[in-house]
Amino acid sequence: MNIKSRDSKYLKGACMKYNLLEKTKVSELVNALKKKYRVVGPKEKENLFVYGDIEDAGEIRLEHKPPILSLKKYYLPQEEQLLAFKFKEVKAVPVEVKKENLVIFGAHTCDITGIICLDHASSIEPRDSNFHKRKKNVLIIGIECLRPCDEHATCVTMDTHNPKGGFDLMLTDAGNNYIVQVNSTEGENLINEYKFLFKESDAKSEDGLIKMRQEKEKWPRSLKVKTDDLKKTVDSGLKHKEWESVKARCVSCGNCTNVCPTCYCFDIKDDVDLNLNNGTRSRVWDSCQLKEFAEVAGGENFRKDRKSRQQHRLLRKFSFSVEKYNRFFCTGCGRCTRACMAKISLYETMNNLVKE
Amino acid sequence: MANDTVMEKEKKASLYEPVAGKIVSVRQMTETEKWFKIELEGKKELHHCPGQFVEVSLLGIGEAPISISSSPTQRGYFELCVRKAGKITTVLHGMNEGAEIGIRGPFGHGFPVDELKGKDLLFIAGGLGIAPLRSLINFVIDKRKDFGKVTILLGCKEPSQLLYKDEIEKWSKLTDVAFRCTVDRGAPDWKGNVGLITELIPGVDIDVKQTYSIVCGPPIMYKFVLVKLMEKNIPENQILLSLERRMKCGVGKCGHCQINKHYCCQDGPVFSYDKLKGLEGAL
Amino acid sequence: MSETKKKVRVAFFDFADCEGCQLQLTYLNTALLDILNSIEIVNFREVMHERSEEYDVAVIEGSITRPHDEERLKDIRAKAKILVAYGACACTGGVNGIMRNHTVKAALETVYPGRKDKMETGLIRAVDQVVKVDAYVHGCPINLNEFAAVLKGLLLGALYKVPDYAVCVECKLKENVCLYEKGQICMGPVTRAGCGAWCTSNGNTCYSCRGLLEDMNKQGQLDILEKHGVTVEMLKDKFSLYNGCKLEGNK
Repeated sequence: MNIKSRDSKYLKGACMKYNLLEKTKVSELVNALKKKYRVVGPKEKENLFVYGDIEDAGEIRLEHKPPILSLKKYYLPQEEQLLAFKFKEVKAVPVEVKKENLVIFGAHTCDITGIICLDHASSIEPRDSNFHKRKKNVLIIGIECLRPCDEHATCVTMDTHNPKGGFDLMLTDAGNNYIVQVNSTEGENLINEYKFLFKESDAKSEDGLIKMRQEKEKWPRSLKVKTDDLKKTVDSGLKHKEWESVKARCVSCGNCTNVCPTCYCFDIKDDVDLNLNNGTRSRVWDSCQLKEFAEVAGGENFRKDRKSRQQHRLLRKFSFSVEKYNRFFCTGCGRCTRACMAKISLYETMNNLVKE
Repeated sequence: MANDTVMEKEKKASLYEPVAGKIVSVRQMTETEKWFKIELEGKKELHHCPGQFVEVSLLGIGEAPISISSSPTQRGYFELCVRKAGKITTVLHGMNEGAEIGIRGPFGHGFPVDELKGKDLLFIAGGLGIAPLRSLINFVIDKRKDFGKVTILLGCKEPSQLLYKDEIEKWSKLTDVAFRCTVDRGAPDWKGNVGLITELIPGVDIDVKQTYSIVCGPPIMYKFVLVKLMEKNIPENQILLSLERRMKCGVGKCGHCQINKHYCCQDGPVFSYDKLKGLEGAL
Repeated sequence: MSETKKKVRVAFFDFADCEGCQLQLTYLNTALLDILNSIEIVNFREVMHERSEEYDVAVIEGSITRPHDEERLKDIRAKAKILVAYGACACTGGVNGIMRNHTVKAALETVYPGRKDKMETGLIRAVDQVVKVDAYVHGCPINLNEFAAVLKGLLLGALYKVPDYAVCVECKLKENVCLYEKGQICMGPVTRAGCGAWCTSNGNTCYSCRGLLEDMNKQGQLDILEKHGVTVEMLKDKFSLYNGCKLEGNK
């Protein structure tokens, strides 16, 4: 194992460990992992991708566009039981999170950033223990992007296109090999466990990594607003006429928030068996784009129209999150733009907000 | 609670687990409001601050955030004033004395009681807004010496909707509390004031340096009351508003009650006006 | 909730429909036995002979077509504490509503050639276009989970509320590839959810059998469909397949 301290923009000051994994060994690694872990990764679904259980190493598509739903579903499932109760006893017990060792194989840096965001939101007191219990048992093996997914991705502006943490291992394509960056003790343990599959890294590969990342800075930026100006743009643009256009187009299908890797809102619902003996209380994903989201029982709705709901969404991504968590809650993955029924594009909206 | 480490808290697990409470008395207050007196299992104290709320949890039905309307100076039980408005409150209204319900909480930041000590207090309550304010009003009356001048302005649509009628009667007779009540529309047997609550504000003698105004009512009321309070030059940080939002989880996670960067359930429901001023969708 | 509580008496009635939704109920199998601890079915043509005229809950299947159907429905409404519209025909008028685009005469000639004089029909209406409806079980056919939710709601005193958001919400959570991505037309974006994206998760497209959204951005929806090459004529057909009774001008 090679330990090097490098002075470069991308590896600055860090004491990073690198290994090499021959591409032909990936299947072997996945199959070995499968013996001990539940392995999930990007797979094809018709003409798109989804994260799903890997039955066979050949299913993994390391080259992929962001899957329909992000990694969020492994940390905050679409539906999660919180309590179980006997209906007639008026007594509820918490439903324990199932302990499961999970390996996420082949996540993009944008999706890994999404988990970092959710971690921030879940760590604010009182902590969301279910999220943390799940996170404790997840290992992330990322795959670095060598080209932008499409024009909808805004990862360059969001500065999420390079690996910056949140993962255990990161694979970067280097010809016949993947360079494997180690980013955690768990990641290092994993390499040690499957030592026979890895090789020592070399200076040539690591130099290549730096050059490649310099090239990445030339990726086109569809989101033209400067990173530093994003918050200001949303905050001061609420009266901009662009919002009228967004309002006219949005059909409140909720796609933008459901596919977003950082949206964490949920509703709570109760289910009772038909025999009225046993019941559960669960949380299910909810969307601020739906009409009833901010409605109180008396009928007052604090975000009645689609404009205020769409504004709320972007404020949560670029403004409130900065004030509350000191970071953007947009990972630049481009899902909201790709999934929008009405073709409302995040970067076009933002770009238009800075036009007169 | 306060001394628990993060790990201990997580072992205790669920933020969502209610404790059992028993309805010890119910009273119909108006056509749509009922008064519930609740004891927690083992007569445990709720340990709330005036202005906080609980999630009333009916297993199999759901949960609803309800302001605590009794003062913490009353021990062994707490009270809720519940309007029949949604699914949960409808079922709750159908429950009788002795019925068990789930309670989570208390949640949120209530009124800054320590900050209010020694200050003049101007309460302005519209409609159901009296419920959370009553918690503080009775607290103040019980510790009357700790506070300066106390004025209560109360308004509602019509006399039949007036809540806490007996108690109001008592407040109006207190010599160290100025109490005024108004209804938007009178009724044949109504001898009191008729008019909007905002019309009562100009007549209140206010020492701006040491007056805190404590306001709760329907969303539309805030706008007009604030104008009148501004005319009185009460500083923005001395105007306290208790807001209603869809506080689904109560613990700052579900996102429904978000007002800009604030979660109403954790950072509120009581906010000083300077914190809300200019925030999109706050008022 | 005391054990000794009297069972809720439920009666099923059908009007203009195929009775397929009532038949769905028998698929509950043993789960049906569970709920029979709490309810008593007193009138159910598909599975029983004996009938009773005393009931708490009336479940109405089918759309309302003839004058005496209207009278019968009003009579049921007067007797029932709770009235449930059951299935697309009852909730939105269903496929019967297609007749709204034709004259009664033309419809009779098409549907009953040679027998039209023996048949009687009139203006097709959804149940709530005739009497007040307390709860809806949408769909063609109904979704059993949803019917169970309605029954449980009745027993718990908290009526089930149909979501007023698009099928897309449920479809996306199931990670289906959007049919528009595949060049197909889907009514999901204008149709109220609650079915769990039943059809679109099983290789079909959404026909809007659950009815149109209340809070719809109509122009926005039309723009989307237009972008995908859907003409106004095609739209009319799509919209009126299940919602003929509920379209503007037809109410």
